[in-house]
Amino acid sequence: MNRVLIVEDERHLADGLRFNLEAEGYQVGVVETGEAALELLLAESPAIDVVILDVMLPGKDGFTVMSEMRHAGNFIPTLMLTARGHPDDVLKGFEAGADDYLTKPFELDILIARIRGLLRRREWLYAAMNNTNNAPASHTTAPVEPKDAFTFGDKSVHFDLLELRVGGQKFPLTLMEANVLRYLIQHEGKPVSRKMMLEQVWGLHEDTDTRAIDNFIVRLRRYIEDDPTRPRHLLTVRGVGYRFVASPAQAS
Amino acid sequence: MVVAGRRKSIAFFIALGAGLISVIILLYVGWVLLNWRSGILLFLGVMLLATIISGVILNTIFLVREIRRNEQHDAFINAVTHELKTPVASIRLFLETLQTRAVDETKRKEFYHAMLDESDRLLASIEQILRTGRVGAAAHKLNLSPINLGVVVEECLTRARTLHHVSPESLAYHPGPSATIMGDLDEVRAAVANLIDNAVKYSGGDVKVTVETAQVDGKYVALRVSDHGVGIPKTELKHIFKRFYRVPGQFATRVKGIGLGLYIVRSVAKRHGGRAWAESEGPGRGSTFVLQLPIVK
Repeated sequence: MNRVLIVEDERHLADGLRFNLEAEGYQVGVVETGEAALELLLAESPAIDVVILDVMLPGKDGFTVMSEMRHAGNFIPTLMLTARGHPDDVLKGFEAGADDYLTKPFELDILIARIRGLLRRREWLYAAMNNTNNAPASHTTAPVEPKDAFTFGDKSVHFDLLELRVGGQKFPLTLMEANVLRYLIQHEGKPVSRKMMLEQVWGLHEDTDTRAIDNFIVRLRRYIEDDPTRPRHLLTVRGVGYRFVASPAQAS
Repeated sequence: MVVAGRRKSIAFFIALGAGLISVIILLYVGWVLLNWRSGILLFLGVMLLATIISGVILNTIFLVREIRRNEQHDAFINAVTHELKTPVASIRLFLETLQTRAVDETKRKEFYHAMLDESDRLLASIEQILRTGRVGAAAHKLNLSPINLGVVVEECLTRARTLHHVSPESLAYHPGPSATIMGDLDEVRAAVANLIDNAVKYSGGDVKVTVETAQVDGKYVALRVSDHGVGIPKTELKHIFKRFYRVPGQFATRVKGIGLGLYIVRSVAKRHGGRAWAESEGPGRGSTFVLQLPIVK
């Protein structure tokens, strides 16, 4: 079941949205402030598939929430839903990192269609990332689930389950964490630049802030390294980026 | 972004003005030191220079004021857009829902209730905007009649208790001796209602509002509305009565509004020969608003 987070301080509007999205079969959560939204969204692995974000919120406004989310490396599809329809505002929303922008008052069907669109895009991306042969995208919206996994030492990454197993323990991975790890594993032993990762994993071709990548690496090290301060698998290549080594003993 | 840009341009114009003035003064002092003999020319020059300098100062002041006004105007447009469009969005959403989905009886009632709430809010915003136009226009004549202020206050309190769902204890009234004023009933009622609504709105979750009327020197009747809410910084006490003005920062954005309520209160007070002001010990310490109007014997 897809999970939708509504960030809206207008109680009636939030109630109406919740009722309709639940009727469409989504699991719905509502928060009233930007701060509360960020707390949820920036948690380790937020259980949210799509966000509906208002702009005029008490405290931190929607634009701020949006850009803080993206800067922290959270790429959950987000639709900004606001009364502010001036072209400057729309542009500001997209600049902050919104995937879609809809002005109030809106038509219910259009809103639902757009949310479906965002989720569909996400599933296609997921399918493409899982499909290692890079076969042409299938014409169904169902995610392709190849049973792929990679084992190194006592650890194994299960890309299909978004899961990392260390010994008997299981750690959930977010989609982006899994994608970053997959990319590094595909280039095992070779240094991978941050720019390459941005282009290949995030699909970005501009000079975006690369700190997001470093944050991912820090998180991944926490999972796969016995001592994250002295990494043996996920090595930093000074001035370039990172290198993944499956069996450190052989490599050295 | 727009606001930051404006701040920069204000700073730029102030710096430019100050820079130009100091260059002129420097040039002039130098010139006087070199050519102090030319007496008449000197006198004329002083006059001309004084004119130029005051011109530059005035220009800078007006420019800065204009930029500030634009800033407030933008904030006002945003607030009005929000206050008008949001209720329509809610009502529309509920209507579409009722039209397209199977809704059970309880939910249906809930939706009707929500739509009524939202249409009340929309109407209140529209009235506030239209009233601003009327009280601001000197040409708009007052429809004067003798009014018992106590009765108007009672009316407004009853309305506010129902509208905001608060008990008579939370929104208490201590009437003073009965006082009659000469005024436009519609305008006086709007001013009183605005003060009471504000007190409830800015109280946060815990509404403890006291409304009192009392005579002042036998000439005036003062309506005092006190709350234990967010309070007002001392420096903002004067500004809050200005049109479109909202206290900047997180403080006011927690409560939605268009920035017209207190402007209406002050305009109505002035039009009736009275005055309105605010008192507060500072943020977090509540505030008291006073509306003072002349009594007729």
